[in-house]
Amino acid sequence: METSRRSIALASGLLLIILLGVWWLDTHHLQPSPLTPTLTGKTEYCLTCHSDLPEISASHPIEAFGCVVCHGGEGLALDAELAHSTIRGGNNPSDLAVVEQSCGGSECHSGDSADSRDHIQRVMTSIQATYAGAITNIRYSFGAQTDLVAQQGIFAISDEHITTTTGVPILSAFDPLAETSTALHQFADNCLSCHISAQPSHDHDDFARLTGCASCHTPDINTYPDGQIHRLTTAIPYTQCNTCHNRGNYDLRSMTFVERTDQPLDRKSDYYQPISQFTKCEWTLDCVDCHTRNESMGDGDIHSNQHDIQYVQCKTCHGTVDELPQTHTIVSEDDLALRMSFLNPVMDLQIGDTIIVTEQGEPLWNTRVLSDGTYEMIGKATGQQFNFSPVKDSLCQQNPTEQTSNYCHECHAEER
Amino acid sequence: MTNYSRRDFIKIITNSLLSASGLLGLGGLLRYLNFSTETPVKTEFDLGLASDYPLGSRTLFPDIPAVLIHDDKGFSALSLVCSHLGCIVQDNNNGFICPCHGSYFDINGDVQRGPARHDLRLLRVENIEDNRLILFIT
Repeated sequence: METSRRSIALASGLLLIILLGVWWLDTHHLQPSPLTPTLTGKTEYCLTCHSDLPEISASHPIEAFGCVVCHGGEGLALDAELAHSTIRGGNNPSDLAVVEQSCGGSECHSGDSADSRDHIQRVMTSIQATYAGAITNIRYSFGAQTDLVAQQGIFAISDEHITTTTGVPILSAFDPLAETSTALHQFADNCLSCHISAQPSHDHDDFARLTGCASCHTPDINTYPDGQIHRLTTAIPYTQCNTCHNRGNYDLRSMTFVERTDQPLDRKSDYYQPISQFTKCEWTLDCVDCHTRNESMGDGDIHSNQHDIQYVQCKTCHGTVDELPQTHTIVSEDDLALRMSFLNPVMDLQIGDTIIVTEQGEPLWNTRVLSDGTYEMIGKATGQQFNFSPVKDSLCQQNPTEQTSNYCHECHAEER
Repeated sequence: MTNYSRRDFIKIITNSLLSASGLLGLGGLLRYLNFSTETPVKTEFDLGLASDYPLGSRTLFPDIPAVLIHDDKGFSALSLVCSHLGCIVQDNNNGFICPCHGSYFDINGDVQRGPARHDLRLLRVENIEDNRLILFIT
């Protein structure tokens, strides 16, 4: 009996020690950090572990969006494995495989084309996503198709609303196993990493980028400490474009990519691979200062090659000997140029300002016509101001029909 | 001095330990039952005396977030939550601008520039018996 009482006392002591241990663990454990975003109204606990991440952009504040609406995951879970079990796209919810769930929605990036909010639809049909230009050219070159109209892309896709003369209605998925040419097999093995669904083929910093929207809008990923990459921006420097472009050349005989070997020390040498001449504006500006979002993100049509969609020329900004560049005066608060400049306010654009527009009416919202008839452009990534004059009434004797850069290079190229 | 037997001593210790364990366990149980994963959302706000808001005043309440308007028609309030994606709009004297995507609303909350397509939400304000104003955000 005495032994039994002693055992009960010992068991009671043990129970108390265990309970005290649980209490201590609970008070010293990471305390849940709830957040109820205004957009969803659903509480999530992601900040319990991720409060150290910087806000991804001013357009996506954590208080309004939270984490789950973009990343997925189990917002109420406090266990990392469970919380991440349903996350979308790993560390990149903008990957094209999941972009519609992550970034889509009529109020977000798959909205109305008339309102210019159909970003995802345009990107999915863009040359950078379909890679139709390279696939078409190589299949044509090696006899797999009889013309240069795109038939296949990285993934199958169709477009029911063709708006341009070069748009094609449908692409099937490129299937290397269905091809008979050895060259096409080599192309599939060596050359399918230059589209925005693919990871870069090379492992060093010059090629470092993510996929999907983040391949362009999350620049300089190699500069983030501890891989804590959390940024979206429309201020895209040329170096980000250069994670795919200007990195070398394809050798069609061996069907391999030959990386550029120069060691550029300045922007002038770094911008392009050392194979050609360029005018000053071609390397002092960033690519996005001239090339519009439709050119880079697509216009909603499926095209057969880059040239079908790339239309900005020297005359877009400089005009010709006969005509000034096309312009547009902002008269409404709802002007697309004002909306775009708000997202990257390098220029204080106002109602009444006149800006340059492309031949297709796209606003170059980082430009402005000045009172003396000259123009200014502000670099979207650098904030640098550039002033320039029209060709008309200048000493330039250009032929207005000659608009390829090589023609202008005859007088305006700089030595490298 | 009371003499305790060895048996009584063990009994007292046992009861003390069990009582402490029971209290700790009960505390844990109550904490578990009272835990709410969803943060409670406050839907009513006491704005104080109506006389504190003179005719013609527009008073911002960033924490609600809302703006209380006192004009010829009486008291009214606008939500400062952008009708586009829920960011909190900022007052710029001539209206409200959304810091996220640039939607612009005039001083009446009517949308002037997208991407928002709807006006700022009108909120209910009640003047209760003791002349206090209550703002409802539901």
